Amino acid sequence: MRGGEINRVKRHVLRQAVADNLDTIRGLPPRGLRPGRRFVRLFLRRAPLVIIPLILAGFAFITSTGVTRPAKAVPAPATPKAPQIRLTRASMTPMLMTDTLEPVSASAFPLSVHRVVLDAGHGGTDPGASSISNVSEKEITLDIEKRLSALLRKNGFEVVATRDDDRLIPLRERARLANGSSSDIFVSIHVNSIPHPSNHGVQTYYLGPTNDPTLTRLAAAENRTSGYALADLRKLLDRVYADVRRDESQRLANAVQLQMFSGLRGVDPGLENWGVRRAPFIVLVATEMPAILAEVGCLSNEREAEMLRSGAYREQIAQALFHGIHAYASANDAPQRKGT
Amino acid sequence: MSTESEILPEILHVGIDLGTSRSAISASNGERFVVDSFVGWPADMVAKKVLKRDVLIGHEAVANRTMLDLHRPLERGLLKEGSDKDVEAVRELLKHLLRLVGVSSNGKIESSNVRAVVGVPAAALRTNKQYLRNSMKGIVDSLMIVSEPFAVAYGLNALLHTMIIDIGAGTTDFCVMKGRYPGEEDQRTLTIAGDSLDTQLLKLIEERYPQANVTIFMVREWKEKHSFVGDPPKRVLVTAPVKGVPTELDITNEMKTACETLLPPTVETMLDLLSRVEPEFQERVRGNIILSGGGGLIRNLAHSLEDALKQVGGGKVTHMQDPVFVGSDGGLALALDAPDEDWEKLTA
Repeated sequence: MRGGEINRVKRHVLRQAVADNLDTIRGLPPRGLRPGRRFVRLFLRRAPLVIIPLILAGFAFITSTGVTRPAKAVPAPATPKAPQIRLTRASMTPMLMTDTLEPVSASAFPLSVHRVVLDAGHGGTDPGASSISNVSEKEITLDIEKRLSALLRKNGFEVVATRDDDRLIPLRERARLANGSSSDIFVSIHVNSIPHPSNHGVQTYYLGPTNDPTLTRLAAAENRTSGYALADLRKLLDRVYADVRRDESQRLANAVQLQMFSGLRGVDPGLENWGVRRAPFIVLVATEMPAILAEVGCLSNEREAEMLRSGAYREQIAQALFHGIHAYASANDAPQRKGT
Repeated sequence: MSTESEILPEILHVGIDLGTSRSAISASNGERFVVDSFVGWPADMVAKKVLKRDVLIGHEAVANRTMLDLHRPLERGLLKEGSDKDVEAVRELLKHLLRLVGVSSNGKIESSNVRAVVGVPAAALRTNKQYLRNSMKGIVDSLMIVSEPFAVAYGLNALLHTMIIDIGAGTTDFCVMKGRYPGEEDQRTLTIAGDSLDTQLLKLIEERYPQANVTIFMVREWKEKHSFVGDPPKRVLVTAPVKGVPTELDITNEMKTACETLLPPTVETMLDLLSRVEPEFQERVRGNIILSGGGGLIRNLAHSLEDALKQVGGGKVTHMQDPVFVGSDGGLALALDAPDEDWEKLTA
C-alpha cells in the first residue's frame, strides 16, 4: 500500500474503532447484530402471518357488521346485541408494531416442519464436558447428530447440520447458519455434566428467563464466546419473550423430552426426568425459529458415560430425539390442533 | 507570557498491552516498560515489616511470593470477575505501569491528561470491556479499548490482506485485516496459549521425574528460553532440585510435546479463517501472516505453520523480533492518531 492509501485506511479503521468504543459505552450490541435490525428482518418475515389473518378477520368483521354498506333502515334484531367491537386505526396500529405486540398464540398458524437444523454441541478445540474415562461431549453430540440426521432424512425431512466434522463453530456462526437456511426448527444436542456424579438424567431447554442460579451459570458458561453483553441479551430476550416461537419452542421441547425420557428409561432404569426448563442459551436466543437444546445424557455419571460410549445407546438417543421431532411435526401437520 | 491557568494540560498518550502473564506500556514521552502481571500484598504484619511496602508488583511480587497474598488479576487476557481483590490488583498494576512512564504516585500527572489505548483479546465481550473501563476510572482520563491483534496490525501498518496470530499467555488471538476495523467474523480467540503450554510441560516433567521439585514459575522460565517445535535445535537441559539436590534434567522431549500442543488448534483456526477470506485475496493473506506475542518466539513455529499452509497453496509466516512491545506500540500509535474530538467522547 502507498503512504497515502495507508493513511486513508488508518483513518477509516480508527473511526470504526472509536465508534465501537462508543457503542460499548452506550451498552449497544455489535453493529450488524442490533436487535432492531434483526427484529425488523424477523418482523418482515413474520408480518404476513399477522397481517393476512388480520385482513381476513377485518374483512369478515366488516362484512358481518355491514360497515361499508350504505346506511339503510334495518329492523332491530330480536336477539340481544353482542358488545360492538370497533376496528379503528388506533386498535389496528399496535397489531403491526412488534414493540407492543401482544403474545400471539402459535396455534393460530399451524406450520409444517420440513427442514430441521441439527446442532452438535462443541467441537474442535472445545471438547465440552468429559467423563473420567475420557469420553468427550463433542464426539457424542456429533455421532448422535449424524444418526438423527439419517433418521430424519429417511423419513422425508431435510436436514441442515451446523457441523458435520470435529471442528469448532462459534455459537453466533451456528445461529447465523440456521437463520440463513430457512429451516423450521432448531435442535441443539448436548451432554450434561453435573457436580453430583451419582445422579443422571435428561433435560430439554427452550428459550426463556430463569431464576435458577445453576442454569444462569450454565448459560453464562455456554454463552461466554457469544459477543453479547448482558444488557444486550436482556433487550433481545425482552423482545423474544413475546414472540410466537417461544410457545412453539416449548411444545417442541415437551415433545422431545417426553420421547427422550420414555425412550431411554427402558434401557436405563436409573435415568431421571429433569424435565423441560427455560434458559437463555445463545443458540436459542439468536436463532429465529422454534429452538431447543437437549441434554441427552450426563457424562459426570460413570455408568451413563460408559453407556454413551456405545453406538447402540447413541442410536437409541437418536431414535428418541427423532420420535420427539416427529411427534411435534405431526401435531403441526394436523389440520386442527388442540386449542385452536 | 501565559499565566499558569492558560497553560494547556500536558497530554500523555499511552498504549497498554494488558497481558495475562506480562503487561507492557509504551508512552508518547518515549518510555516503554514491561512488568509481570502479578500483584501481591504482604500476607501479614511480619511480611509487611520485612518488605516495607504496602503492595508489590511484577517481578518483585513473584520473587517475594511466599510472603504475599499474590494475585494474577488477568485470566485469559481478561479481568477476573467477582473478586474485589482482583479488581484492586488490576488497578494497582495499571497505576504501576503509568507510574513507570512518568505519571505521579497518586495515579495522575499534575495538570495532565492521560489518554490510553488498551488491547484485549479478540473475543472479549462487551461486558469484559465495560468491566475494564470501570476498573480504569480515575486512573486515566480517556480510554479506548481495542482487540490486541488489531493494535498489533495498526502498529505495523498491516491493515490490509494480513493475518495476525498473537500468542500470549492466556489466549491465542487471530485477526484478519481487511482494511476495516475487524468484526467478529474476522477474529478468533483460543484459550490454548502460553499458560496451557506451561501446565502441560509441568505435567510431563512431573510424570518423567516424579522426584523432582518443579514449580510452574520454573517451567515458565525454561519455556521462555528453550521452547521449540519440530526437530530440537539442541538438548534441553535444566536444573531442578531432586530430593533437595540440584540435578540436571533432560526435558527435550517434554518441551517438544508441550509446545506442539499449540500446533493443531493454531493451524486449524488459521486455515479456517483463511477459508473465510474472499477467494481472490486468500493468496495475499497467506503471504502476510504475522506471528506476535511471546509464543511467536517458539523456535520453528513459523516454519511449521508455513508447512501447514502448503496444503492450501503455501504462504509466508513472519515472527516479530520484538514481540513484547508490538501490542503496546500499536496501541500508542492508535492513541496518537486519534483526533482530540474523539478522545473527548471516550472519557474514562
